[in-house]
Amino acid sequence: MNEETKKQINARYERELNKGEFFWPDSIFKDAVVSLGIFILLILLATFVGVAGEPKADPSDTSYLPRPEWYFLFLFKFLALYGQIPVVGKIEWLATVLVPSIAIGLLLFIPFVDKKQDRFYAKRALPLGIMFTMVVDIVILTLISDVPTVAADDATLFVKLSASLQPYAGLVIPGVVMALLFFLPRVYKDISWKSMTWLTGIGSFLMIGLTIAILTFAPKLESTETELASTLAEQIFAGQDLYSLHCVECHGDDGKVTVIEGVEGLEGKAISPINSRDVLYTVNDASMAEIIAYGRPDSGMNPFGRMYNPEGLSKGEIDYIVTFMRYMWDDRFEIPAEALKPLFPPLFEGEVPSYDVHIAPIVKRYCVSCHREGKESNNYWMDSYDNIINMGDNAPNIVAGDPNSYLLQVIQGHEIKDAKGEVIIGVMPPKSTLKPNVIDVFIRWIMAGMPRTAMDAAALYVQPTPAVTPTP
Amino acid sequence: MWKNIFDWLNERLGLNDLQKSLLERPEPKGNWWNTLGSASLFLFILQGLTGIFLTVYYTPSPDHAYDSVNYIMNDVAFGWLIRGIHHWGATLMVIVVFVHMLRVFVTASYKYPRELTWLIGVGLLIATLGMGFTGYLLPWNQRAFWATTVGTQIAGTVPFVGEFILKALRGGPDLSALTLQRFFAGHIWMLPAVLVGLIGVHLFLIIRHGESHWPKKED
Ligand code: HEM
Repeated sequence: MNEETKKQINARYERELNKGEFFWPDSIFKDAVVSLGIFILLILLATFVGVAGEPKADPSDTSYLPRPEWYFLFLFKFLALYGQIPVVGKIEWLATVLVPSIAIGLLLFIPFVDKKQDRFYAKRALPLGIMFTMVVDIVILTLISDVPTVAADDATLFVKLSASLQPYAGLVIPGVVMALLFFLPRVYKDISWKSMTWLTGIGSFLMIGLTIAILTFAPKLESTETELASTLAEQIFAGQDLYSLHCVECHGDDGKVTVIEGVEGLEGKAISPINSRDVLYTVNDASMAEIIAYGRPDSGMNPFGRMYNPEGLSKGEIDYIVTFMRYMWDDRFEIPAEALKPLFPPLFEGEVPSYDVHIAPIVKRYCVSCHREGKESNNYWMDSYDNIINMGDNAPNIVAGDPNSYLLQVIQGHEIKDAKGEVIIGVMPPKSTLKPNVIDVFIRWIMAGMPRTAMDAAALYVQPTPAVTPTP
Repeated sequence: MWKNIFDWLNERLGLNDLQKSLLERPEPKGNWWNTLGSASLFLFILQGLTGIFLTVYYTPSPDHAYDSVNYIMNDVAFGWLIRGIHHWGATLMVIVVFVHMLRVFVTASYKYPRELTWLIGVGLLIATLGMGFTGYLLPWNQRAFWATTVGTQIAGTVPFVGEFILKALRGGPDLSALTLQRFFAGHIWMLPAVLVGLIGVHLFLIIRHGESHWPKKED
């Protein structure tokens, strides 16, 4: 750029300044309005949307699907699509090094590549077209980042289509558009900025159209929301649920067990009661978590951590169990009041319990540790409403309105015998008895026909008939 | 009384001159798109302030990071608000800086005499993204851990020096306490220092050359 042009530019700027305004108070007012708006928006976001919880980092859980911060998602998707290209797609560093370097290099050198003094948009169809196409590409790559790049062989036609359209939307069309934008003006010297704009527009239109198709055909992702315990009370509850599921069989629901009974392979094994001071005072949290994760092979305890068993417990879950044990049994810890809430809300006269509110937590606490997949329990899994009602070698275990339902008999201490007098179902739970109020919940629930939701149950509520007062 | 204090300070600091050169400088006719630079600056300052509050409770160790963030969210008075603002502020800052860059591109404000302003700006964009990348690991949750595992892996694919970059970022072959410590140092000391320096030069150049005018047909 020669001195003459520079002078021209500066003179032109002077003229604009003379027609202009002042930083104070004109521009800074606008700045303040926008910043204040942003500040208010942030407070609203922090208050009403908040920060989503996540489980604690667990280096052993390699099944976790990595997901970068959202503004890197487009790069992730780009790399995934790039990997689909035959031959060059296999040379990883081309994509991970060369492409980002070119992008950053281009950004850096824009002022030196685009040296013309033109600033009006109609004179800059090429740079604006390329930039626009790139921005649209970044946006659509972000939008489709969750759609699988490769469809499984047995996927439906739509799912396959949604996978195979992606390279066109994300790589081919933007690539072709940018190449055309670049070369057309070199071939047709007098191409108008309007044609260039049409080209950009059509390209973006196609990209967005394909994206909509990809998103509509995409397989519906089932969300695997894990419940997260953030407050201490929630952690204790979570720990208690996990304890009920994994530990109760051997250690008992109160951790008191000293001799294991009724567990295959460990029958009669002597263990230390894990609710005792001996254990709780000598084993700190970190060692306790390690024992749960790695097990105690010499005394028969399995490793429960995920590093040994893909279905095992995560680091966070193990921590919840330790927290639960501390606050429940260790007398140096005081359990927070809100963690003492009862397992289910007490029933009023005439009230009918529901599966959701009453039965599910009870079953989870006392039954599911044995009554689930992979455990010897007459194939009676109590892990869902339907299974509780329908499953089991001796099904039906529950008959609506029948006070002699098997389930009601065994929890009240009566074994079920077959015609030959052999016991087919023992007393439940095998080694303890449920509290009367828990038994009462089961009786009322089955007698009322096993309502599932609190609403169903409320509909069955019978107003206790008030005692008739004789009218004088 | 106030006048005396002002006069005394003015004599020493040259407040009147500063006011003339910083505040009362002439500008071309304004435009709402030109507020995005100062909005980026505002967000940077806000991130700095909320970040400083967070470091009061945050502990950069794999054993305590997660719990300390939990503590901030549940037990510290207004901790949820401070973290919420910092969390969403990061997202918003990336958007605002990016749109600011787009506006500068669209108005061709990177041309003479503002080429250097643009170059510094590219540095600012990279540093801002770096803040996002390093900050993401700090809560030490699943998402953070695995995103960083993959992110650093990508850096490891660079031919010849990849291995070195990977180890330098992670402080060893795997993500560990060292990685967290490094990302923490980068997030609260190194990158902010880079940002402050670059923003200083950026602002100096903007004041020196003035805000560019909105391009018209004749430009
Ligand atoms: C932390 C990030 C950034 C901050 C705090 C910042 C701040 C500012 C401010 C306050 C202005 C003047 C007001 C305005 O024009 O909006 C400005 C102008 C400018 N910025 Fe930035 N900026 C940042 C990032 C960037 C980036 C990423 C680029 C480009 C790659 C860039 C390039 C420019 C240019 C060329 C100008 C001059 C515009 C003109 O005179 O019209 N800045 N910046």
